Amino acid sequence: MKYSQEMLKELAERIYDLDAEVYAQLGSSLGRVFNRDREGCVNELVNLMNDRWKAHQVRSELALISNMARTVSDKEMRKMIMREYNSILKEVMELPTSFGDGDILNPEMASLNTLNLKKRFGEKDHLIICIGRTYGSGGNEIGFKLADALKMNYYDAEIFSEVLKRLEAEKDAVQDRAGYDHVMKPGDAPRAFEAAARMTIKERIRQFSRYHGLSKRDAVFFNQSDLICDMAKREDFIVMGRCADQILTNNRIPHVSIFITAPLEQRIRRIMQIHSEMPLKQVRQTVKKADRQHTRYYHYFTGKKWGDAVNYDLCINSAAYGIHRSVDFILKMLEQ
Amino acid sequence: MKKWMIFLAGLCAMLAAGAGTCLAAEAGGSAASSGAAAAPLWLCIPFAGLLLCIAVLPLVKAEWWEEHQPLVVGLWSILFIVPFALTFGAGTALETVLECLVNDYLTFIVLLFGLFCVTGNITMEGDLAGSPRINVGLLALGTLLSSWIGTTGASMLMVRPVIKMNSWRKRKSHIMVFFIFLISNIGGCLTPIGDPPLLMGFMRGVPFFWSMHLLPVFVFNMLVLLFVFYWLDRRAYRKDIAEGHKPDISKPGTEIKLSGLHNLIFVVMIVAAVILSGTLPSLPAFLNAEGHVRGIHLFGEVTLTYPAVIEIAIILLAAFLSFRTTDKEIRRKNHFTWGAIREVAVLFVGIFITMQPALMILKAKGAGLGITEPFQMFWVTGALSSFLDNTPTYLVFLTTAGSLGFTEGIATTLGMVSVPVLTAISCGAVFMGANTYIGNAPNFMVKAISDENGIRMPSFFGYLAWSLAFLIPVFVLDMLLFFL
Repeated sequence: MKYSQEMLKELAERIYDLDAEVYAQLGSSLGRVFNRDREGCVNELVNLMNDRWKAHQVRSELALISNMARTVSDKEMRKMIMREYNSILKEVMELPTSFGDGDILNPEMASLNTLNLKKRFGEKDHLIICIGRTYGSGGNEIGFKLADALKMNYYDAEIFSEVLKRLEAEKDAVQDRAGYDHVMKPGDAPRAFEAAARMTIKERIRQFSRYHGLSKRDAVFFNQSDLICDMAKREDFIVMGRCADQILTNNRIPHVSIFITAPLEQRIRRIMQIHSEMPLKQVRQTVKKADRQHTRYYHYFTGKKWGDAVNYDLCINSAAYGIHRSVDFILKMLEQ
Repeated sequence: MKKWMIFLAGLCAMLAAGAGTCLAAEAGGSAASSGAAAAPLWLCIPFAGLLLCIAVLPLVKAEWWEEHQPLVVGLWSILFIVPFALTFGAGTALETVLECLVNDYLTFIVLLFGLFCVTGNITMEGDLAGSPRINVGLLALGTLLSSWIGTTGASMLMVRPVIKMNSWRKRKSHIMVFFIFLISNIGGCLTPIGDPPLLMGFMRGVPFFWSMHLLPVFVFNMLVLLFVFYWLDRRAYRKDIAEGHKPDISKPGTEIKLSGLHNLIFVVMIVAAVILSGTLPSLPAFLNAEGHVRGIHLFGEVTLTYPAVIEIAIILLAAFLSFRTTDKEIRRKNHFTWGAIREVAVLFVGIFITMQPALMILKAKGAGLGITEPFQMFWVTGALSSFLDNTPTYLVFLTTAGSLGFTEGIATTLGMVSVPVLTAISCGAVFMGANTYIGNAPNFMVKAISDENGIRMPSFFGYLAWSLAFLIPVFVLDMLLFFL
């Protein structure tokens, strides 16, 4: 029997629905096997079925569902669920061990490649551009001008403010300076991704409750994720940093990811032109520190290397084009 | 074919591990002049066979195993009882089986049942998100609770909140493994309520609060394991986040709501019953003219003692009252089912019956093993407690230590035992129950409840690998720091 991707998807949907049904029947609040959104879990299952080395994981997930299904108290319902389970298991066992044809093409990645931009966005999808940038590379200006040219909203610190509002956090307690036009100085409030300063026990308890036992950084990140996904359902926009590319990828929301950088010396020269009062040594230290912090932050939340070309649709050396021509370059790519 | 290769490899490994401990005991015993009757070594084969089935069948024939556990347990039990009856006579066989069922298994399973029922009626709702530091806090809390409400009580009380808070995570089996290490085992070392071997020691004259001497070892193990756990969990947590898993923290502020809290009274009632079972037998009112504990005579020398009857009655009453006074919606939210307790009841009845020859060999030859040093006591008590019931194992080595002629230490009814030796025996028996799923009753309960709630727990051998990787190095450090 020849299996098409549609058939695999249908099988994955049946597995997800079975899990949902079992969980609904149990009325438990202790969690289920597939604890994410339907589409995400279905895609994950299809990928597992497609991958020869991970195919056993599908059977393993099914076994977990069956463990729960056997505890359904209504006999008739349990019988019905187990019948569906057995039918799914039979189909899973009959799956070929590999669907590969020797091509290196990863269909999921290919659907997101730059040549496929038009196909990437469906009729209901909004155009979302995620821009990562190094400090001093002019990424913010490029992002802002691009938003202006495309008549789209531009989000940077606004996302952070909104998240703080959601968390009911005091604005002064933590500041977001992901926008690089601000130069860090001693005594500044910590960035969102910096380690928290010393706190009293009372403050710790208050934070513990406010952030659901999570660290401030993690709580802010989770809320940012929710907010970015919500926004993606409503409007076209450009978002600067915040691991938005990975957040959208994880939530299977089509987007274009761009990374803008420039040689270190070039970035230092630019910052010195903007902040002429700062000595060279301080600028150099600031740039290096900002790079280190962003690398750590991006790696912590995505498990990936910040600035690594494999993670983006397009990487631009802004020093080779300048701000205006970088904007033109991106626009041309988008118009293709 | 591959599955059968695994089965055969497992058979060899299990026979080597299970019967190997008995061989060591027998070899050591041959030099000793013990007069006690020892069972032949081959009678341990059903025990090794049952362990093998528990270890391998869930891997190779999971569904079949789920449905036929009672059959397998019955088969191995018969394979022990019939040859045992042919060797020692039907009367002795019946007496041995009844003795282990009435005096060991019954109180064991009733305690487990009571705590399972009562704690299943307490539920926690809220949006506290399972993160490395929350998990470290929960494990630390549970570990500290274990000594005061027993490892079983703490395990049953904590297992559902831990599962619930981590329900958003994908990688969570390691959390439950460390839960078993710490809450289901190591945490129980500070008082006789914590773990049955220490209660046995208390009944033999070890002062109630003497176990507090184990505090430095306890604190050291807890800190080391929590430190290791934090980094493991942090890695897993980051991987989960990177894959897009996230907790629901959309509402500002944390809300935690506990329901069925009145059941804590019944938990206390059960703990009191356990304490009573340890104190009543020494009261004159419960002793007959020969100094034996009074009870209902069943067969031969098998008697269901009145303290045991009182313990069972109190525990069952607590479970009954708990069910009568708690809304069933709480149990529904807790995903309360009988599956976990049924599995443990079925498997452990077989384990208790088939391990009798191994215990008989140990009792007969344990004193002749030539073990005198604390580090030897720690490892031998621990290694045997990993596979056998840790209470009789503790008692065998406490008896051995009592006969070594110490002039200083703790005066027990079995003789004077030096503090380092008693510390080593206690730590070995309590800590190393964590080495395998069958080492301590709550281990299997936690595994069964986790299995039912979407957590992919390691197999028997997988769990053994976790123990070898994380527990054994800690025990080596224990030996170097405390028992040499």
